[in-house]
Amino acid sequence: MARTLAAATRRVLGSRRRGDRAAAAPAAGAADAALVADLVEAIGADRVRADAAARYLASRDASIYKEGNAGPVCYPGTTSDVVACVKVATRHGRAVSPRGAGTGLSGGAAPLGRPVVLSTTRMDRLLEIDLDNGVAWVQPGMVNLDLTRALAPHGVHYAPDPSSQAACTIGGNVGNNAGGPHCLAYGVTSAHVAAVEVVLSDGSVVTLGDLTAEPAGYDLRGAFVGSEGMCGIATAVAVRLTRNPPAVRTMLLSFDDVSDAATTVSAIIAAGIVPAAIEMMDQRCVRAVEDFAQAGYPKEAAAVLLVEVDGAAGGVAIAADRVAGIARRNQAVSVRTAADDGERARLWKGRKSAFGAVANVMPDYYLHDTVVPRTRLVEVLERIYDIVDRHDLLVLNVFHAGDGNLHPILAYDSRVPGAEERVHAAGREIIEMSLDMGGALTGEHGIGVEKREYMDRMFSPVDLDQQSRLRASFDPHCRMNPGKVLPSAHSCSDIGALKAADAAGVWG
Amino acid sequence: MHLGLDDDELVACVACGLCLPHCPTFVITGRDTESPRGRIALMRAVQNEGAPVTDDLLRSMETCVQCRGCETACPSAVPFGHLMEGTRAALAGAGRITPRWQRLAMRMLRHRRLLLAGSTLLALTIRLRLVPTRRLGLPARMPLRRPPLRTSGDDVWLFTGCVMDAWQRDVHLAVQRVLEAAGVGVEPTGGAAPCCGALHIHAGLEAETKDMARQVMAGLSGDDRPILVDAAGCGASLKDYGHLLGTDEARAFSARVFDVHEWLAGRLDELKSRRPVEPLDVTVAVQDPCHLRHVQRAHQAVPAVLVPFVASVVALDDDGLCCGAGGAYSVMEAELSRAIRDRKTAAVARSGATVVASANPGCSLHLAAAGLDVRHPLELVDQALSASG
Repeated sequence: MARTLAAATRRVLGSRRRGDRAAAAPAAGAADAALVADLVEAIGADRVRADAAARYLASRDASIYKEGNAGPVCYPGTTSDVVACVKVATRHGRAVSPRGAGTGLSGGAAPLGRPVVLSTTRMDRLLEIDLDNGVAWVQPGMVNLDLTRALAPHGVHYAPDPSSQAACTIGGNVGNNAGGPHCLAYGVTSAHVAAVEVVLSDGSVVTLGDLTAEPAGYDLRGAFVGSEGMCGIATAVAVRLTRNPPAVRTMLLSFDDVSDAATTVSAIIAAGIVPAAIEMMDQRCVRAVEDFAQAGYPKEAAAVLLVEVDGAAGGVAIAADRVAGIARRNQAVSVRTAADDGERARLWKGRKSAFGAVANVMPDYYLHDTVVPRTRLVEVLERIYDIVDRHDLLVLNVFHAGDGNLHPILAYDSRVPGAEERVHAAGREIIEMSLDMGGALTGEHGIGVEKREYMDRMFSPVDLDQQSRLRASFDPHCRMNPGKVLPSAHSCSDIGALKAADAAGVWG
Repeated sequence: MHLGLDDDELVACVACGLCLPHCPTFVITGRDTESPRGRIALMRAVQNEGAPVTDDLLRSMETCVQCRGCETACPSAVPFGHLMEGTRAALAGAGRITPRWQRLAMRMLRHRRLLLAGSTLLALTIRLRLVPTRRLGLPARMPLRRPPLRTSGDDVWLFTGCVMDAWQRDVHLAVQRVLEAAGVGVEPTGGAAPCCGALHIHAGLEAETKDMARQVMAGLSGDDRPILVDAAGCGASLKDYGHLLGTDEARAFSARVFDVHEWLAGRLDELKSRRPVEPLDVTVAVQDPCHLRHVQRAHQAVPAVLVPFVASVVALDDDGLCCGAGGAYSVMEAELSRAIRDRKTAAVARSGATVVASANPGCSLHLAAAGLDVRHPLELVDQALSASG
């Protein structure tokens, strides 16, 4: 037994050159040998990877933050696997960082201090559909779109639909309290999670929230959703099921002027219409996505709005007519209604591939996720274009216009000296401006590490201290995804946990 | 180690992750090392950051099926296939991948007589049960005799290739009959173009592939007849000669290449008008070979051609995910290959179809080895035509 375990551990630590073993450098991660051996014993060799390549990739998400430093990467399949990993990590004095699909844009999944990374990709099952209670229990690694597809035969869906929904996981959605185009009418993740099974930092398993309408006591479920992995690891999620609307109409409105598009957004809401979604893309963004999506987005328009109304057929027809009227009164140059589901799907595909399509323009991007009062959209957009011009950068604007959640994508080439600095300077100005307008730091992408330094710009020391104490009540020793969200001065013993990190080269 | 990859192609990935659900190895393993995004990040680490080429990095590259499902999913159009081919060429050049026995086996594909004789010998040993076919991923039965190829005119070439001609000549003959039924005179390429080199480029043998491409082009030069291909992998490879060799001549050659379904889809009326056809009473699931769907992007021609000739054509609900065959992949990475195939067989079972139509010999052998009734789409068309004849 001991010998097979030792062999399995060596295999997991891996990474020596074939046929050249004598000359090989010590296996990367050898310092973790004892930890890895215990993890292997706990959940099996095929569920643990500690080689340099695996750790390198587990150190990053979809953001430009590249300073993560992962320890061994585990692929648990069950709640008890997660419990076992957390206990082993604790025994070795190591933190734990969860990871879904790694599509996050704030460095939230980038592990700090070489923690044990718990990848949920193999916890991807739909556990139970409970139509009576209107919920489904899913494992955290289930992909958002897979869930909605699995629910389709029942005439229901999972409403929050982040742009990355084809790849991102429910666990990551819960961690970031993710949004999506349709959250304008339906609300963000928090409104769609009834209960969460969580493994806490001491290895205990608790269920937060329940399936009743008004759970008794503190809303710990509400505290957990959006806590970015710092309060524990979600191992099962009860998501609410939303009935599919009987009728849907998707409209593409195009404008010769960005301000007209922004004014239209406010006018639609002011008219008392609450569309399922109002999305805006400016010209540069439309041009980046159209070649891929082939959805017929007008490349010559200065900006387009994608507006979707849903509900009962009669109401939808009326709302759509009113939206079209408002758009025309605000100088829309064209109003197109998707003729069928295929056209509708192509339009959404275009919108939802916007971030991924940036490389058609520039190889790198950095984006912010601030929220501004919708009534000030026109002014905010002008300011953004102005800031970007002053820093000699390119911006693609694509955002949830209906709720004022901006996503200015600053596109650049990191190979150009100084580009990254200019991007960060412009980003800072955009954040300051958004907050000055009465906005918020993030709408849906989370704080992670990228926006951590701006937290004290938005929250007072008292606010931050309360947040830190809330977190500590879940995780007193800061063992769960340490170093995220809270600025270091407010994050209990995170600094201690992070000291476990040792110097790392390319292959760590 | 410099992998010789184009820097602009290499930096074009923004790591959004939209490729992940379209990667068969990521879907099975859930590991970033077995994903397109991860593989690109590792290529960058090696080429730009001086990371060492470890065994685990080699595994990451070797486990890629090269289905290129990630390319059609990528909003930034990252040319993953070129990056992977370039990486493998560099690694094979340094002797890190593609062992000698594999190189020798592949060299044989160019030598038609040797290949045909070897195949007959193999067929014989299979009949005598001397070879564990299941374990090696070989077909349970192979032809001992092959009816001769024959020329019926000079309207088009029919590319016959290497293994497919040796193991599945019946398919070529059925395809030829269908083309003839549409009034087209066919000349099989036979010895004029022994092998397209698809397996070689996938294994990183770039110089050899270029050599083979020149040989094929020379064999089919002298006129500008269309070159029809009934194997999706070969078609994709021939269409890529323009990029591979980078010459005007090669580009002109590639422009003459069509998947046979792609070519027939525009001539269906011709085919149907010749005689009344009674559709075959079968429900057919169309399996899209990756090199037809993601590389040639001509997969919609297959159902278009099939529909008039069979009772029912059903689509699979798996987003065209790879079947795991991947040319030599099913032999080199047998375990992963079968895990990927299990998803495909499950999708076929859900579809309710009794017959699977596959336009690529590698996929068809691989799926047949799982017990499915797999035919080339034009074999079904041929059957319908001859039954009505």
